[in-house]
Amino acid sequence: MATLTRGGETAMIGREPGFFDALMARFGRVILIGLPLAFLVIWTMVPLIWALLASFKEPLEIYESRSFWPRNPSLDAYWTVLGMDGFGKWMFNSILVTVVATIVPLILSIIAAYAFARYLFPFRHVLLLLYLVPRIIPRVSLIVPLNDLMTDLGLINTYWVLYITYIASAVPLATWILVGFFKAVPREIEESATIDGANMWNRLRYVILPIAWPGVVTAAVLCIREGWNEFAFVLALVTETGMRTLPYALYMLKDSMGVQDYAVYNAFTILTVLPLLVVYLLLERRVVDSIVSGAVK
Amino acid sequence: MAEGYVEYSGLKKNFGAVPILHGIDLKIDEGAFVVLVGPSGCGKSTLLRMTAGLESVTDGDIKIAGRLVNRVHASNRGIAMVFQSYALYPHMSVDENLAFSLKMRKTPLERIAEAIKGAAGILKLSPLLDRLPAQLSGGQRQRVAMGRALVREPAVFLFDEPLSNLDAKLRVEMRAEIKALHQRLATTTIYVTHDQIEAMTMADTVVVMHDGRIEQVGDPLAIYDRPENLFVADFLGSPAMNLLDGKVVATDYPDQPRAVEVAPGVLLPIPGGAAAEPGQSVVYGVRPEHVALVGEDAGEPVTMTLVEPAGWETHLHADLAGLSLRILSVERVGAKPGDRAGILIDPERVHLFDRATGRRL
Repeated sequence: MATLTRGGETAMIGREPGFFDALMARFGRVILIGLPLAFLVIWTMVPLIWALLASFKEPLEIYESRSFWPRNPSLDAYWTVLGMDGFGKWMFNSILVTVVATIVPLILSIIAAYAFARYLFPFRHVLLLLYLVPRIIPRVSLIVPLNDLMTDLGLINTYWVLYITYIASAVPLATWILVGFFKAVPREIEESATIDGANMWNRLRYVILPIAWPGVVTAAVLCIREGWNEFAFVLALVTETGMRTLPYALYMLKDSMGVQDYAVYNAFTILTVLPLLVVYLLLERRVVDSIVSGAVK
Repeated sequence: MAEGYVEYSGLKKNFGAVPILHGIDLKIDEGAFVVLVGPSGCGKSTLLRMTAGLESVTDGDIKIAGRLVNRVHASNRGIAMVFQSYALYPHMSVDENLAFSLKMRKTPLERIAEAIKGAAGILKLSPLLDRLPAQLSGGQRQRVAMGRALVREPAVFLFDEPLSNLDAKLRVEMRAEIKALHQRLATTTIYVTHDQIEAMTMADTVVVMHDGRIEQVGDPLAIYDRPENLFVADFLGSPAMNLLDGKVVATDYPDQPRAVEVAPGVLLPIPGGAAAEPGQSVVYGVRPEHVALVGEDAGEPVTMTLVEPAGWETHLHADLAGLSLRILSVERVGAKPGDRAGILIDPERVHLFDRATGRRL
């Protein structure tokens, strides 16, 4: 559709867009965007919803009925989980290591990513690639040497062993994400800040980080997810019951139950997933807000 | 010799093994508005960034207000810079943008508020102080960038192609605003542009740069009227000067003993005092506005090839014995392609250059 304007009058050339075009446009959008999205949502949500519904069922109901819905929904399984010896400690352990394994990697990665993004030092490309090595090698292959090393250092069954391994695995991830976001901050803005009298730390604090904030939150979300869900290291490097994190405790739960109480099992799963989900939803809104407003104060 | 307020001596810059500036010597007086102009890659922005302290000095010296600043940090040179992209802090409101440099210098809050008020008043930013850069138009952003430079009360303003992101109309407006601002504040200003119109209209002094060297320095009109070499002659002026290869020949006319033969049998007049000997290979330069159109039976005959009416002037392209000639007329010329006419050239308006060296004769 072309439009000609002359002397304030507008003349249309061709056909005006009608009801049919609008319908097709809307329908096309639904098919192209809506359907795949709906499929993805179902794909990811069904297992979670299944677990949620199963957690409300009676202990043996899952063996007897194929119904999706619980016969007599109850919170008994949750009370069982919350009443377990050690559940509070496991939750605390998970929160503690996740917080440490988020804050420390973020600080380290912000500094490292800034250097990679802005400074022209020799071998920076190779170094950035080497940064990825810990994430490329299968985690399981690290476990035996790590176990030997940590035993020699006397760190088995301490928080330190979890801090060290979790941080080491989160730093490369966060750095790689942040390098891209930092590089996207126009160099002139930083030069302007330099002329304005900001030293490197002030530039980072007042200019780079606020502009790259969505990247920082993204990195934080991924660090939290990594820390919270980590399983291989805690399984290999921790043996004491009191040092377990939630995923490890969940795994042990399965072993100790004989005939498995799926309601309890799923209630435990839901309680493990829930904090992560809350954090994710809170932070995700922040990311979206900052993108929409174009800045974060 | 008197010291300049900003002074470059033997200034060189290499990027790796690639030389960008080959020894710049220049003195800029206090309060001057100097425009560095030249094509892309001529080193003008590098020179400005070195002045700002954003690029290191390979060799030579930069002095600002009598102080050697080669190793002085950008923030302590007493300069303020306006970038091509404005480089506003996108997450800060206009007043936060204006305040940032003063905050970094730990200026007292009352003093910051005063400075913002002053700058906002001068640049008409007062109603915009709460907005984010994304909520401003191009011209407003440009003014914020200038305001940010203004609040610091710098010794030298540096502008790096500040108008090239604006549309043509706004560019003309901002050009006038920047010039007016300079007339009001009389702060030494170094302004980089590749736009020769900006250079001509804004500068007290134009510095024409090419390939990392200064080609000519001077008053804009003086440079326009008397370009020292072929590069400057070709670069300054729009439409560009006609430059025709030719040979100096002796003539039989007592008042024009020498002329330049630009094509077999086509003789064009040269200034009486030109230091050109018969037989010498030269480049004959004449600005399009100095070629007068006359009737078909007078002057050198030409054939029109293209007519571009621009309203207040007419650009014509003509064929002169197989050579292409640009003519600028401030009259409405009713010519059409294919029309024949004659041209007359005032010899005193002619520029002669040595073909081998490119220097003015």
